[in-house]
Amino acid sequence: MSSSHILKKDHLIPLLRKLGKAYRLVAPMQNRHGDTLFAEVASVETMALDLDHQPQESLKPFLFPQQEVIAAYEADQAGYALHPRYAAPPPTLYFGVRSCDLAAILYMDVIFSQRTREPHYLGRRHNTVLVGLNCNAPFPNCFCDATKNGPFSELGADLQLTDLGDRFLVTAGRAQGETIVSRWPQFFSAAEEAEIKKQYQLYLEARGGFQRQVHVDLAIRRLAEGMVDEAVWQQLSLRCQDCAGCAYVCPTCTCFTIVDQPRSATSGERLRCWDACTFAGFTRMAGGHNPVEPKKAAIKHRFLHKLKYDVEKHGRPSCVGCGRCLDICFGGTDIARFVELASEE
Amino acid sequence: MPHTQSDPYLPQPARILRVIGENSQIKTFVLAFTDPAVNASFRYQPGQFLMVSVPHCGEAPISISSAQQATPGEIHLSVRRAGKLTSAMHLLAEGAIIALRGPYGRFFPMSDLCGKNLLFVGGGIGLAPLRAVIQSCLADRGRFGAITILYGSRTPSDIAFRADLACWEQEAGVQCLLTVDTPEPGWSGAVGVVPKLLDQVALDPAASKALVCGPPLMIKFTLAALSAKGFADQDIITTLERHMKCGVGLCRHCHLDNKLVCVDGPVFTKAELNTLHVMELA
Repeated sequence: MSSSHILKKDHLIPLLRKLGKAYRLVAPMQNRHGDTLFAEVASVETMALDLDHQPQESLKPFLFPQQEVIAAYEADQAGYALHPRYAAPPPTLYFGVRSCDLAAILYMDVIFSQRTREPHYLGRRHNTVLVGLNCNAPFPNCFCDATKNGPFSELGADLQLTDLGDRFLVTAGRAQGETIVSRWPQFFSAAEEAEIKKQYQLYLEARGGFQRQVHVDLAIRRLAEGMVDEAVWQQLSLRCQDCAGCAYVCPTCTCFTIVDQPRSATSGERLRCWDACTFAGFTRMAGGHNPVEPKKAAIKHRFLHKLKYDVEKHGRPSCVGCGRCLDICFGGTDIARFVELASEE
Repeated sequence: MPHTQSDPYLPQPARILRVIGENSQIKTFVLAFTDPAVNASFRYQPGQFLMVSVPHCGEAPISISSAQQATPGEIHLSVRRAGKLTSAMHLLAEGAIIALRGPYGRFFPMSDLCGKNLLFVGGGIGLAPLRAVIQSCLADRGRFGAITILYGSRTPSDIAFRADLACWEQEAGVQCLLTVDTPEPGWSGAVGVVPKLLDQVALDPAASKALVCGPPLMIKFTLAALSAKGFADQDIITTLERHMKCGVGLCRHCHLDNKLVCVDGPVFTKAELNTLHVMELA
């Protein structure tokens, strides 16, 4: 059973100071260009914490980095040996994680443990504490209501914060969260009934605050029924610039490639790097055969994977409604555009 | 956090014991893991594949072309020179070390083949995974009915696995027929695409299973020809080649609709493929 506490905003920085000593602390911060990104907090005193804007990237780059060394190798006349390499990040607390990004982490947990246990992701994940922040005011491109994982989150966070103005209502959802509350009780007080009611009021207001109506359910149904016209894929494929920006900012896109990076004539590293199913070469085989027609079927697969195959497999889409692909796509072939086209009779 | 669980990406070194030149494009590498304990405990089934590492070249999926019972302690990989890794592999000689991980993938349903007449239809390097099944059947000959092997090549000099074909022909109840797309002087055999050979053999589809592997177009026309001959879709089995990076169901390069060829395949029946958007059937 979850418990509710109050954290006054005056106590936030002192709490983060304590947390920063116990964990590597990652939080959304505004950089000198004015961009809000999750970044490691070097100093709680000088951090430019930004809880007012959506971080431009999810936590994917932290838990599943764009590029990582998975092995080192030596190869010479005497032999060929590969040695696994694991980055060993210290216990990390991610602060201010929105419900979309929490849902994406729960999805990655499944992807990286169901068929094969992926040691790099899971190694980081096991060392992770998540402090969520409910969205009182959805951002302009958000549609997590339509993907049913926001704007308030009930799953995934160790501690979940709701901004009540001069204070946060703090819900401890998991044992790690309870540990934090009981370890630093001086920052927390018991939540009053009125404060819990206030949170519910904010939740109702947030649900009404979405600026976009993206009919994800309808698109899912039409895909399941095979009702999406080929012309929709044609139209999207023509406009897709094959930049993979959508896949890179997507918190649930986890396709990757593995390449060798020689460091000398007799040694090198094996890297795992992000890849994207929309790239023309993603499925092309040595010798030239490509089972996926790049200009037609690649973007189709991206949307079918998120809105059909994952619904069949996991019971919910793997789009979490964060809206980041809407921000980044300059061809106008983001998932909201697809949902719109697919929903047309 | 220290990792005690096995690393799915970590291959084991293996030594090239022999290299068999099959034709100008295909070599069969006979391999054994350098660690005797690994080699002794390694188990695989016909139709499975390995992720092969060649120094500085990354990895590529290669299907195993031998059967465990037929080549104890040895693994055969028949490799066509097609890209960076396979070209580098072709430069390697006896004694060289590569690295292997696996075996991966769904294998041919050997128990379903018992008691059946078996029709193997291969094109080019496509005979490699079928070779594993044929070896497996011949090692346990009594459990299978008549074996027919149809093999197509581009030209007579492209015919690979000649030594194998010569051996198989000597076995009781085994028939081998070859065809080429383009004849050369001295060729007296059949000319034409491999499905045409189906007219030259006695078939009993109800008592048979057909196993097919080759280039995409060859698979397409062979599957259609087998259906026309009366083979039921669940009795036609093929294996698909796809680009793969992980081999363990994570990287998604081998996506096929809602399936991943590395874990849901690479062996599929035609009945299964009918429900999917497959290049080989398009």
